[in-house]
Amino acid sequence: MTESAAEETPKENYILLWLTAAVIFAAMAAIYLYVPTERTEGPVQRIMYLHIPSAWISFFAFFVVFLTSILFLWKKDREWDIYAHASAEIGVIFCSLVLITGPIWARPIWGAWWVWDARLTSTLILWLIYVAYLMLRSQTTPGSMRARYAAVLGIAGFLDIPFIHFSVLWWRAFHPQPKVITAAGFGKGLDASMMMTLLISLAAFTLLYFVLMGQRVRQEKLRDEIDRIKKEKLYSH
Amino acid sequence: MDNLGFLFAANAFVWAGVIYYLFTLKKRNLALERDLQLLKEVIEKEAKQ
Repeated sequence: MTESAAEETPKENYILLWLTAAVIFAAMAAIYLYVPTERTEGPVQRIMYLHIPSAWISFFAFFVVFLTSILFLWKKDREWDIYAHASAEIGVIFCSLVLITGPIWARPIWGAWWVWDARLTSTLILWLIYVAYLMLRSQTTPGSMRARYAAVLGIAGFLDIPFIHFSVLWWRAFHPQPKVITAAGFGKGLDASMMMTLLISLAAFTLLYFVLMGQRVRQEKLRDEIDRIKKEKLYSH
Repeated sequence: MDNLGFLFAANAFVWAGVIYYLFTLKKRNLALERDLQLLKEVIEKEAKQ
C-alpha cells in the first residue's frame, strides 16, 4: 500500500455513500408508505424489513470473514486479515441488531421477549463466537500468530450459519419458517409488495455494509501505515 | 393490534446503532490521519536538520 492510498478518500466512496443514503430513503418510503399493513400482526410486522436485512448482513459479513480467513491462511497476506477483521466487527454490529429487533418484534406477537428455541439460541451462539473473535484480536499481541488463531475461529464460527438457517426446519420452533429462500422457490413465502419492499431494504443494508467496510478497512490500513513508519524510524536510529 | 411503540423502538435501535458506529469509524479515521500527518512532519523536520 502506498502512503497516498491510506490518506486519500476516493471520489467513488462519496458516490457509494450518496447512493446508499438514497436507497435507505427509498427503503424507508417503501416500508412506511408503500407496503400494506399485515392483517394479523398489524404495523409491528414492519420490523421484519429491518430484522431480516440485519440478519442477512450479519450472515454475509461472517461469510466474508470465513472466505478471507481461508485466503489469509493460504496466501499469508495481511490484506485478507484486514478484510476478515473489518467484516467481523460489522457482522457483530448487525447480529446485535438482529438480537435486539427480534425480541422487540416477539414481545407483542409471542407475548415473550425471548424463547430458547433452536434459531434464537443458535443466533445468540453465533454472536458470542464472533464477540470472542473480536476479543481474541483485541487482547493478544498483533502479529501473524494472532491473525492465524483469529482466522481459525473465523472459519469455525461460520459453520453455525447453516445450522441457524435449517434449525426451524429440523425442529419445531417459535421462530417462523424461512420466507425468502423456501422449498417452493425464492420469495414464494411472501406477498409481491412485501417481497419488493424486503428486496429494497436488503439492497439498502447491503450498500450500507460496503460503506462501513470501506471505512473500517481504511482505518486498519492507516494503523498499519503508522506502525510501519514508526518501525522504520526505530530501526533507522 | 397496534403496538406502534415496538415499531418505533426497533427503528430507533437500528438507525441509532448504525449512525453511532459510522460516526465512531469516521472519528477514529480522522484521529489516525492526524497521527500519520504528525509523524510525517516529525520525520521531515528530522531529515532537514
